[in-house]
Amino acid sequence: MIKNAAKRFYLILIFILLYSPIVTLMVLSFNSSKTRSKWGGFTGKWYVALFQNQDIMNALYTTLIIALVSALIATIIGTAAAIGIQAMKPKFRTFLMGVTNIPMLNADIVTGISLMLLFIAFHFSLGFKTILLAHITFNIPYVILSVMPKLKQTSKHTYEAALDLGASPVYAFFKVVFPDIMPGVFSGFLLAFTMSLDDFVITHFTKGPGVDTLSTKIYSEVRKGIKPEMYALSTIMFVTVLLLLFLVNITPDKKEASGGKRLKIHRKHRVSRVVFRKVLPTAMVIVIIAGGFFYGSQNRDGGSNQVIVYNWGEYLDPDAITMFEEETGIDVVYEEYETNEIMYPKIQSGAIAYDAVCPSDYMVQRMIENDLLAEIDFDNVPNIKYIDSTYMNQSRQFDPENKYSVPYLFGTVGILYNKTMVDEPIDSWSVLWDEKYKDSILMQDSVRDAFGVTLKYLGYSLNSTDLDELEAAKKLLIEQKPLVQAYVVDQVRDKMIGNEAAIGVIYSGEALYTQVENPDLEYVIPKEGSNLWIDSWVIPKNAKHKENAEKFINFICRPEIAKMNFDYITYSIPNSEGRKLIEDDWMRNSKIAFPDPEDLKNCETFQFLGDENDAIYNQLWREVKSK
Amino acid sequence: MSNKLIDIVNITKTFDENVVLDQLDLYIRENEFLTLLGPSGCGKTTLLRILGGFETPDSGDIIFDGKNINKLPPNRRQLNTVFQKYALFSHMSIAENIAFGLKIKGKSKGYIQDKIHYALRLVNLEGYEDRTPDSLSGGQQQRIAIARAIVNEPKVLLLDEPLGALDLKLRQDMQYELIRLKNELGITFVYVTHDQEEALTMSDTIVVMNQGYIQQIGTPEDIYNEPQNAFVADFIGDSNILPATMVEDKVVKMLGSIWQCVDVGFGRNKPVDAVIRPEDIDLVKPEEGIIEGVVTHLIFKGVHYEMEVLANNYELLVHSTDMFPVGTEVGIKVDPFDIQIMKKPESEDAEAVGIEE
Amino acid sequence: MKSRKLLSGPYLFWAASFIIIPLLMIVYYGLTDKEGGFTLLNLAQITTPENLKALGLALLLSFISTLICLVLAYPLAMILSEKNVNQTSFIVLIFILPMWMNFLLRTLAWQNLLEKNGIINSILGFLHLPAQTLINTPYAIVLGMVYNFLPFMVLPIYNVLVKIDKDVIYAARDLGANNLQTFSKIILPLSIPGIISGITMVFVPSLTTFVISDLLGGSKILLIGNVIEQEFKQGSNWHVGSGLSLVLMIFIIASMALIAKYDKNGEGTAF
Repeated sequence: MIKNAAKRFYLILIFILLYSPIVTLMVLSFNSSKTRSKWGGFTGKWYVALFQNQDIMNALYTTLIIALVSALIATIIGTAAAIGIQAMKPKFRTFLMGVTNIPMLNADIVTGISLMLLFIAFHFSLGFKTILLAHITFNIPYVILSVMPKLKQTSKHTYEAALDLGASPVYAFFKVVFPDIMPGVFSGFLLAFTMSLDDFVITHFTKGPGVDTLSTKIYSEVRKGIKPEMYALSTIMFVTVLLLLFLVNITPDKKEASGGKRLKIHRKHRVSRVVFRKVLPTAMVIVIIAGGFFYGSQNRDGGSNQVIVYNWGEYLDPDAITMFEEETGIDVVYEEYETNEIMYPKIQSGAIAYDAVCPSDYMVQRMIENDLLAEIDFDNVPNIKYIDSTYMNQSRQFDPENKYSVPYLFGTVGILYNKTMVDEPIDSWSVLWDEKYKDSILMQDSVRDAFGVTLKYLGYSLNSTDLDELEAAKKLLIEQKPLVQAYVVDQVRDKMIGNEAAIGVIYSGEALYTQVENPDLEYVIPKEGSNLWIDSWVIPKNAKHKENAEKFINFICRPEIAKMNFDYITYSIPNSEGRKLIEDDWMRNSKIAFPDPEDLKNCETFQFLGDENDAIYNQLWREVKSK
Repeated sequence: MSNKLIDIVNITKTFDENVVLDQLDLYIRENEFLTLLGPSGCGKTTLLRILGGFETPDSGDIIFDGKNINKLPPNRRQLNTVFQKYALFSHMSIAENIAFGLKIKGKSKGYIQDKIHYALRLVNLEGYEDRTPDSLSGGQQQRIAIARAIVNEPKVLLLDEPLGALDLKLRQDMQYELIRLKNELGITFVYVTHDQEEALTMSDTIVVMNQGYIQQIGTPEDIYNEPQNAFVADFIGDSNILPATMVEDKVVKMLGSIWQCVDVGFGRNKPVDAVIRPEDIDLVKPEEGIIEGVVTHLIFKGVHYEMEVLANNYELLVHSTDMFPVGTEVGIKVDPFDIQIMKKPESEDAEAVGIEE
Repeated sequence: MKSRKLLSGPYLFWAASFIIIPLLMIVYYGLTDKEGGFTLLNLAQITTPENLKALGLALLLSFISTLICLVLAYPLAMILSEKNVNQTSFIVLIFILPMWMNFLLRTLAWQNLLEKNGIINSILGFLHLPAQTLINTPYAIVLGMVYNFLPFMVLPIYNVLVKIDKDVIYAARDLGANNLQTFSKIILPLSIPGIISGITMVFVPSLTTFVISDLLGGSKILLIGNVIEQEFKQGSNWHVGSGLSLVLMIFIIASMALIAKYDKNGEGTAF
């Protein structure tokens, strides 16, 4: 008795371990607050919003169609392969099973990378098709490994008996062998479908622009905070599957004693088997395909008349994209990145031909120097006139002739702190090294920002290439590491709002938003000076739709659109006409959004320091991170 | 014979509301070869597993050598089991398999070595010490399973259909082997089988079971010659079971005629079943028999001919050393001693309960 | 017979194109420099102190995770194998059903649970216990690994355990072994194929993960997976990335060899 209770207790513990995150997510889907770390009361609004969020619905559709198609193809190839392998000589069979095991045992990251290298080497453009190919590849082994044991159980003689009775090999296979291995095929399919559904790593490496599965969508959202609609969607998916399974299991084949009963149950079971083997899958296929046509008709038209935009995460009002599409009929394929350093290699490798990209100052310079950018035809961008000349002049630091870039947003890097958690007025970077705030400090997870802050604190230029200065900065960063709660990028925002940390290094634009959400937060540009940054639109040399890109940039420079963007992301706009349109006085006059020249006197703009110095920075940063 | 060794008192066992054993009583004597015989699902294996300690009865007691062993776990019972599918430890050598129980008891190395040799010699598998179970044939594995059990010197050896997985020839050889072993070891064997021939060949006592009830207990001769109900008659050997009416003591009406028999005490004009073994039917010239019939089938069986004779709309099975071709009209005679009268069961359940009522 | 063998043709083609050739691509990239000349420098990158530390830490954390998984999974598999549960529904419950909640979201949900003001600390606070720093520590990463890969340990062990003939266990009891002896002398040795298979299926993904360390380590803790991911996605040196992947493959090949040795009949497969 005690033993049984202990066993039950253990099962419950494991169950809690496995399911507590799932329950957490379900609860979050009813949280009316947008940030994960705050409970804002119960709401069902995300479930409504979900069906209006086309991004998520698209990702869902892509995920399901890839899972379905890849599982189907894998099931066909895998089942055929299993039968073939079974008929082979043991030696060859062992070898082939070894090959089959590779994708299962190999690290996802290695599989993903190897496929990415293959696709790029053979000039497959990364996109829907490459994800599909990759998923089929890792799905086939699951099918083979599910079918093989069933094949082993199947007697060869029944197949031969069928042939003997005059059946053709094909007929014999489908009438005699197939029914026997059906459960294996079915579970192989289910496994493949689920694996595909849940895959992130391999998709991450083999996907291209504009295509997102739920996994990659979520990953790109991680940094800036997951949209609550995502929780709602997951909850719906989970509950649906749970209900389906419950229905399947409500008619189990219990071995009853009496004969009469057994017969009845058998018949009932048969009905449910028909439902679950035939009706449900058919219904699923119909729903998915119908959904596909529905979303396809809305989205996937006008393939060639498009513009591929590569922008920072959460850096453009989606309504602006819709407006642009409606106005011009140009399809916008929109991709996001988290840091300049993630964006750059993608452009450099040319694996994907983006049309409009929005790098920061120093990165613009680097791209110009490495001959990656096309000159913008300003005849097509008349709205450049609305950009304040101050910022056009600032741009000359990295784009000396104003030929390649159009300023989009600007801002400063500073310290965001929670007034209730710090004692003294904060005006210096030194607070980031204050033992008092151990585990309450959020640092930027990007090389130049982290070093820039440190170099400034040390009194050096944030464009320093002096090895001694850099070494000193590295030492300081290593010293700081034990105090840091986490290295993050956009997450600073949510964590500060949720009172997770006292002090965070943040971009001014984010600061404005956080203050609205949490009045305890205050932003300051430290007296040692900081980074004044400008993010600008550029057009890569390998762009396929250069004119469309120019139209897009021109559209963004329109004052109403600039103002719309400011309202949405609260980052400072260099568009002087646009600023005048801001209704909120507090916002329009905010020193955070539009700082006085006074505050900026110690501030510098990042410059590109050359590949070699970049490598040194990267190396030093890795040394910091791995300590 | 000798004393009671095991007393099974009023054992009931159910699985999921399915009664497998119903208030069963049975005793097993020392040095006895007792066979539990019955069709699958009759409860014989469950009874064996209760003896082995792998199942606990819902109610009732198992008395072993005067002590109640209901609560004793299997590892502390003085019984050892030979499992149907041998259940050898595939990750151990033959010697390790045999030594398993002795090592657990902490016997000395020398003792264990001696025992391994002794046991392997006993089952005629000397020199197999270092082989693995996988490399042995079914019959050899079976012998190892027996060797592994007997080295522990149990008072009782429980055998669960040990020959079930072997082919016919091997099965017959092993039957003699088992009898020899039992005689050499001088211990009690409790043997479970659904094969009546095995039971008849080896047993001192046969317990026929059906649907959780004991149908008949007796020597092989008793069971064969005097089945106490239709189930036993039908299950043991071939037989003709005919609906009949007991006209009065020693007179029975069947197949439309009046027959002499030796059974008494069934009352007057009571419906009964009559059992006649096929070899007890004499085929004679039509005018010499009590009733007449026609031979409809004929098969040569080596020792005898097997025929079917249609008489008064009944197909009778007949074994005879004389041959009557198909279509021959014959007379049918049965010696009164060879007609066995049984009470007619009123329902299937009553049939299962059988003699107790 | 011949025609049946032909059925595996498409797969042979597929395996060659999408399994073998891609691996050769990694080998090629790993052994060449940017100009295409042969070099061993990419492999040698593993010996730089940072990479060595990332590898060492990854080895340590995945070793600990694997151990914890084994300790947690074995009793679970035993309990379940005794329970006569329907195998399919068990696999579904432990393995398939959670996967319908996205892997990243599930891992992310642990942030909520582990955070400073998270659910676990709230519970601790309610019980008047001191709050713990849980998130962004190696412990959190280990937890993430255990959470994500536990089913990969449970399934192979469970599959081996249910295949053990009940009579074999009865036979051991019958021959005098008590519970502990039956376990150590019979059940454990017979389940080794499943254990080995489970160990590799947990160890390899833990060793190479970058997502879990990213999400639960607050980017403070760099594992070898993160280093490789950054080489490809950020640092833009695919040659070094491939070289490091090749080093990782040594561990993967080693585990495959281990399986080949202890699980010849494929008893310990997870599915």
